[in-house]
Amino acid sequence: MIEFRGVNKWFGPLHVLKDITLSVEPREVVVVCGPSGSGKSTLIRCINGLETINDGDLVVDGQHVGDRATNMTQLRTEIGFVFQQFNLYPHKTALENVALAPIHVRKIPRAEAKSAGRELLAKVGLADKFDAYPAELSGGQQQRVAIARSLCMRPKIMLFDEPTSALDPEMISEVLDVMVAVAEESMTMMVVTHEMGFARKVAKRVVFIDAGAIVETGTPEEFFSHPRTERSRAFLSKILRH
Amino acid sequence: MIWQQLHSLIGSYPLALRGLGMTVVLSLISLALGTLIGFALGVLRAGDSRTLSGVIGAWVDLIRGTPFLVQIFLIFFILPELGVELDAFTAGIIGLTNLASCFICEIVVAGIRAVPTGQVEAALASGLSRWQRMRQVVLPQAMRVVLPPLVGQYVLLIKDSSVVSAIGLTDLTRVGWLVVQRVPNGLLVFALVGLAYFIVCYPLILLASRLEKRLGAAHAEVQL
Repeated sequence: MIEFRGVNKWFGPLHVLKDITLSVEPREVVVVCGPSGSGKSTLIRCINGLETINDGDLVVDGQHVGDRATNMTQLRTEIGFVFQQFNLYPHKTALENVALAPIHVRKIPRAEAKSAGRELLAKVGLADKFDAYPAELSGGQQQRVAIARSLCMRPKIMLFDEPTSALDPEMISEVLDVMVAVAEESMTMMVVTHEMGFARKVAKRVVFIDAGAIVETGTPEEFFSHPRTERSRAFLSKILRH
Repeated sequence: MIWQQLHSLIGSYPLALRGLGMTVVLSLISLALGTLIGFALGVLRAGDSRTLSGVIGAWVDLIRGTPFLVQIFLIFFILPELGVELDAFTAGIIGLTNLASCFICEIVVAGIRAVPTGQVEAALASGLSRWQRMRQVVLPQAMRVVLPPLVGQYVLLIKDSSVVSAIGLTDLTRVGWLVVQRVPNGLLVFALVGLAYFIVCYPLILLASRLEKRLGAAHAEVQL
């Protein structure tokens, strides 16, 4: 479903992705973790073309990302993306946020898109917030709207870029619960997160990245309990200490 | 003496109305056209094409960096030399519309650039096309930043329209010049001309400051 083949990326002189080779199967949930600045966000932002790759090949849903022949706008409709900072449209209500792309991109009739939107918002526990504006919602609620917004496009792949990092601690679990529910519906998912509980529960694999390169890959059990490399042990000791 | 002057002034009111009408019509048409063109230029200038953005930028700088009087003269006196005959009204509309477009373009660009990149990324990630991103996500948010200076710019442009009297259009300012030949009291006549401009502009000034306050309130509300 997602395949990196020798992908490299530079920001000017900075080599942010180093020869990444990684493949994600359909319906697989992969968690990506690593220290800040390791390139994990850049890695998943490449998948829907928010960042461009400089070298190598990246195939998503059978299409070559960055290839001139690939219609990225079309490909993006198949990929949901959840941002760390939610990025809800502040001038639109929760329901309008969710229904916008289905109406304008998928050309689904307004009423139908809105009823699908209501259903999804109810599913993420926001049945009473259809008409609320983002500024009236808590961080956790905003992030759940953002997840519903992505799901409403019925994507084949869901990408999460540190979805709980901007949240107050008491709101993290409400967002993780929604993500677990999405994973359990056999969605192909790539999630950048340090939430180990989530990783243990739904991830098939954990990918550890440091300084732009994949250092270690393994099942959550292997990775968290028996990390093989010195760098992953050092990283885990830091995030586990608290 | 003063009574005689006032009497004579009152007798000039049809001319004054004509002048006021000309100023208002000229301003309305060129502001409407200028807003449309200015938004289009702004969207293009903030777009991906560097060439297009550069060309528009150069034109805007050129227009902003030269006196409007000179521009009007060029349009009215020089274009006919090149075989483009224009009546004064058309020349006035073209000159003022061009000026308005350029100033409004810069205001729109600033508004578009004030929209956080995360918004554009969210719209991109949802698969919205370039135009849809503009229409649905970027412009509505840019409008909050654009509106107050836009209305302020309208006021400046209405006042700039007085320059067209130089090519013989009978607007408020030219009516002043005509009347003052009959009523030799420049202070009184031009005070009235000024008052007429003020009456046209003041509602817009009020609107601009109200919009500014609303914008401030809205920003406070969005703070996370």
